[in-house]
Amino acid sequence: MKNCRIVIAFVVIILTISGSAFAEEKISVAVAANFISAFKEIAADFEAKTKIKIEGTFSSTGNLYSQITNGAPYDLFLSADEERPAKLYKDGAAHTPFIYARGQVILWSANKDFCQAKSWQDALKKEQVQKIAIANTQSAPYGAAAKKALEKSGMWDALQSKLVNAQDIAQSFQYASTFAVGAGFCAMSAAISPEGKKGCFFVLDEAPEIIQSACLLKRTANRAAVEKFVEYLASPAAKEIKVRYGYR
Amino acid sequence: MTIAASFKKRLRYFDLDISFSFAKKNMMVMIGPSGGGKTTIIRMLAGLEKPQEGKIVFGDEVWFDSMRRINVPPQKRRLGYVFQDYNLFPHLNLIENAAFAAVDKKEVDELFEIFKIGHLKKRKPHMVSGGERQRCAICQALARHPRVLLLDEPFSALDAITRRGLREELKHLKGNMSFPIIYVTHDITEALYLADEILPVVEGKIDDQWMQRMVSREPSSELALRAAREPRLSLVY
Amino acid sequence: MDYLALYVTLKLALVTTVFLMVIAAPVAYMLAYSRFAGKSFLEALIYLPMALPPTVIGFYLIILMGPKGFIGKTWGMFTGGSLLFTFIGITVASIIYSIPFAVQPMKAAFSKIDRRLLESAYVLGLSKKATFFRVIVPNSISGIAAAAILVFLHSMGAFGVLLMVGGSIPGETKVASIAIYEAVEMMNYRTAGMIALSFIPISYAFLLLINKLNDGERT
Repeated sequence: MKNCRIVIAFVVIILTISGSAFAEEKISVAVAANFISAFKEIAADFEAKTKIKIEGTFSSTGNLYSQITNGAPYDLFLSADEERPAKLYKDGAAHTPFIYARGQVILWSANKDFCQAKSWQDALKKEQVQKIAIANTQSAPYGAAAKKALEKSGMWDALQSKLVNAQDIAQSFQYASTFAVGAGFCAMSAAISPEGKKGCFFVLDEAPEIIQSACLLKRTANRAAVEKFVEYLASPAAKEIKVRYGYR
Repeated sequence: MTIAASFKKRLRYFDLDISFSFAKKNMMVMIGPSGGGKTTIIRMLAGLEKPQEGKIVFGDEVWFDSMRRINVPPQKRRLGYVFQDYNLFPHLNLIENAAFAAVDKKEVDELFEIFKIGHLKKRKPHMVSGGERQRCAICQALARHPRVLLLDEPFSALDAITRRGLREELKHLKGNMSFPIIYVTHDITEALYLADEILPVVEGKIDDQWMQRMVSREPSSELALRAAREPRLSLVY
Repeated sequence: MDYLALYVTLKLALVTTVFLMVIAAPVAYMLAYSRFAGKSFLEALIYLPMALPPTVIGFYLIILMGPKGFIGKTWGMFTGGSLLFTFIGITVASIIYSIPFAVQPMKAAFSKIDRRLLESAYVLGLSKKATFFRVIVPNSISGIAAAAILVFLHSMGAFGVLLMVGGSIPGETKVASIAIYEAVEMMNYRTAGMIALSFIPISYAFLLLINKLNDGERT
C-alpha cells in the first residue's frame, strides 16, 4: 500500500516538473537539416544577448513541413526551400516568408584523394567510386539542386546505378563520412564542420543556389520574442556566422 | 547373454555404487524406496546417462568403460525401454507408434492382438486410456526385437486393477521372451510376483538385508509371500 | 501507389523468413535442450535486437556492414562489392533485426516436448538429427509456424533499421515503409495513404492465422 503511494507521488512530481519549472520566454524553431550547425551558433549568440531561450528541432524540410501542417507547435520554420513556406503562407498558416540564407550544394568525400581529379565530374566517373549519396531529390532541396547539376553535366542517367538515396543531406553526409559511400552531395556547411574538414570537397558551379526561406507561424504564442529573433537573423552578427558556414 | 554392470556416480543426496550381473531368460526386478537411484541405474544401462566411473558389458560388447572412454550411445545398444509415461509420440496413432522402430511391421499386428489393443490401432495416444497406452508402449519396445527390455515402473501411473491385470500378462509373456528383462518398481508385492531375481537398491547401494526387513514387517509374512505368488483377487482384498 | 516498394517489402519478408527459420532452428534447439556455461549470457545476446531501438541496430549495422566493418570487409573480400545499400544487405539487416522473433517461439515450442519422448526415440534407434525431424518438428509444428509468421510480419514492418542501411534504392532497398515516409515528405499524401492501407489486409490475415494455430494447439 505504502509503495503504491510513493510511486504515484513520484510520477506526479516527474510530470509536473518537466514543463512548468521555467517560466522564462522561449521560442521553438523548426530548422532544416543543413542549417543545424549555423543555427546552433546563432541561437547561442541570441540567447546570450537577450536571455530568450531557443529550442531547435532539426529534421528534413519535408518532415518538418508535414509536422507543421499536422499542428506541431513551432513558432518559426527555417526551411531549405522557398516552396514550403510559400505553401504555408498560401494556406494561411504562416506570415509572409522571407529569405534567411542562400546555400550551396557541394560534393564531399572523406577520402582526400577524391579531390585530386580535375573536376567533380571526373572524380565521380572514377572506378573506385562505387556508390554516391544524394539526398532525396524530390523532397530535399539540396538533393534537387545536385540532380540539376548532374543533369546539366549530362551525367544523371549514367550515374543512376551508383546513387544511394539518403533521407536528408545530414544522412548523405553521414554515409560519406563513414565511408559507406565514396562521396556524397552535401551542404557547404557540412564541409566546414570539424568532421567535414577531415575530407575534401568540390563546389558545384552547375548547381543552382539554394534559396532558403523562412516563415513565422501564425499559431505562435510568442510573437514578440520570435520577431526579435527574426530581426537578429538578418543582423550583421548573424550574417557573419552564416558566411562562416558557407551561406550567403 | 549376460549383463554385467559395475559403476559409480555422484548424485545429489548420495553416491551410487552398484555392481551386478545376470543372464538371459531372467526377469530381474530392481526394488527399493523411491529416490534410491533405481531409475538412474536403468538410465545408465540404456545409455541415457553416464556413470562417473565403471563398466557396463553386454555379452561381449562393451557398452561403457570409463577407463577406455567407451560410451555406446543408446541408439546402438538396441534395447527396449518402457517409461512410466510419455513413451508414445503424440503425433502418431498407436499402430504407427508401435511400428516406429519395428523390425517386422507384420509382427506389430500380432503384438497388438496379444496385448488386446488391436481395435485401437488407429487411435491417437491421448484418445486411449493409460493402461492401453502402456500396452502399446510395450509393443513398441518389443517390436524392435530388443536385446534387453527395461521397464521403469511401467504400471505405477495406473489404477490397481489395471496394474494387476498387466502384471499378470507380463508374467505370462515373460516365458516367451528370449532376452533379459529388468523391471523397476517400489511395490514389493509386484516384485515378489514377477521376479526371478531381486536386486534391492537403497540409497544407491545394493542392500540385501532390506528385503528381509521389509517382508518381516508384515504381520503374517509367510502368508503375504504366498499370496503374492498366487494372485487371487479375494486374497488381496 | 508504389507497387515496386510493396514488391520489395514482400520479397524481403519472404527471403528473411526462409533464411531465418533455417538459422534459428539449431539455435532454438540448443537453447531448449542443452545446458552449458554462459548459456544465459548467450540467450540474452540473441534476444538483444528485440530490446534495442531499431535505429540503434541500424547505427551499428552501418558500421559493421560498411567497408571498414567486420561483416562488410569479409563480404568485400569474397565478392569485391559492398554489402550496404543492396538487397542482400537489407536482408542481412532484416535477419539480425528479427532473430529473437524466430528463436523465442521455436525454443518455447521445443521445450514443451517432454524429454522422455526424445529419449524414447534415441532408445528406439533414432539419431539426434532424425529425432529432430521425425519427433520434434511434428510435435512443435504450430510453434514453428507461429515463429515464421511473426518473422514475416516483423520484417514487413522494418523501417528504422532499413532507413539507415538501405539507401532507399527503388526496386532494391526501398521498402514500402520507407516509401510511405518519403511520400509524406514529398507531400504526396494519397500515395502514402494507399501504401499504408495495403499493409492492413496482409498483416491482419496473418495474425488471424496465428490465432487459429494457437487455438488449434489447445485441443
